[in-house]
Amino acid sequence: MLWLAATMLLLAGCAVSHTPTELTPLAITEHTKQQTLTNQLTFELGTGYSRTLKAGSQWISIGRVPQGEVYKPYKDVFTLEGANVHEAYLVVDTGRLIGFYLPVERGYSPLKQALPLPLQTQEPQN
Amino acid sequence: MKILQLAGIGLAILLTGCASTGPRLHEMETTIPTLSAEQGRVYFYRSSSFVGAAVQPSIRLDGAEVGKSQPGGFFYVDAKSGNHEAATATEVENKLTFVLDKGEVKYVRTKVTMGLMVGHVTPELVSPEEAKKEMVDLHYNGVPASK
Repeated sequence: MLWLAATMLLLAGCAVSHTPTELTPLAITEHTKQQTLTNQLTFELGTGYSRTLKAGSQWISIGRVPQGEVYKPYKDVFTLEGANVHEAYLVVDTGRLIGFYLPVERGYSPLKQALPLPLQTQEPQN
Repeated sequence: MKILQLAGIGLAILLTGCASTGPRLHEMETTIPTLSAEQGRVYFYRSSSFVGAAVQPSIRLDGAEVGKSQPGGFFYVDAKSGNHEAATATEVENKLTFVLDKGEVKYVRTKVTMGLMVGHVTPELVSPEEAKKEMVDLHYNGVPASK
């Protein structure tokens, strides 16, 4: 019975851990500048899954959580995956990706190890 | 030899019976109603594949059944803006949480992954660019419903 439970857990993956946090939103206007990721970034989540942020992907700052600035993908989606899948935004502090904001759960999920996030500012596009 | 032929025909019938058969997206695109300003739209789809074809669980959006995950099929649901949870269940329940803004269109692909006794069907968010490419030849298998 134990092996069955262990196998089910293995197949399902671990849950995405997160703690409650509060987003202070930023008004998004047509003048909001996009940030472009200059290099591809691949990292492991604590759930057994990995994620890749593509070079050239565009991000918009939508506000702040106490942990850092929150960036949402522009015309794209980003998710964290564990036992379930959650839409997520990047949390950046002093140029480093430190974790993720889960908008539905209003939660912060830290990255095990912060990573440099090379973002370059771009003029607004519509 | 005859047994093999019969088995082949039987398998073909079985798999055809599993697939979606409505009009393809590119054939019905012009008949899809315009989204109302107060709502967002969620497309659910599953690529054509024989792998796990017989596994076709219901898809629930915020607890209400909105359609089925069928190979080669797609459907859409118009829903209020805000937080949403899409879920499918076979031997385990798999959930996806996402935000839908007013006028926004989101795409949810259901994919079959390995399970212990039965395959798992996982909903995942897909970028509009990728989803539009994957959906073009899929068949409509739903009834439009507003939430």
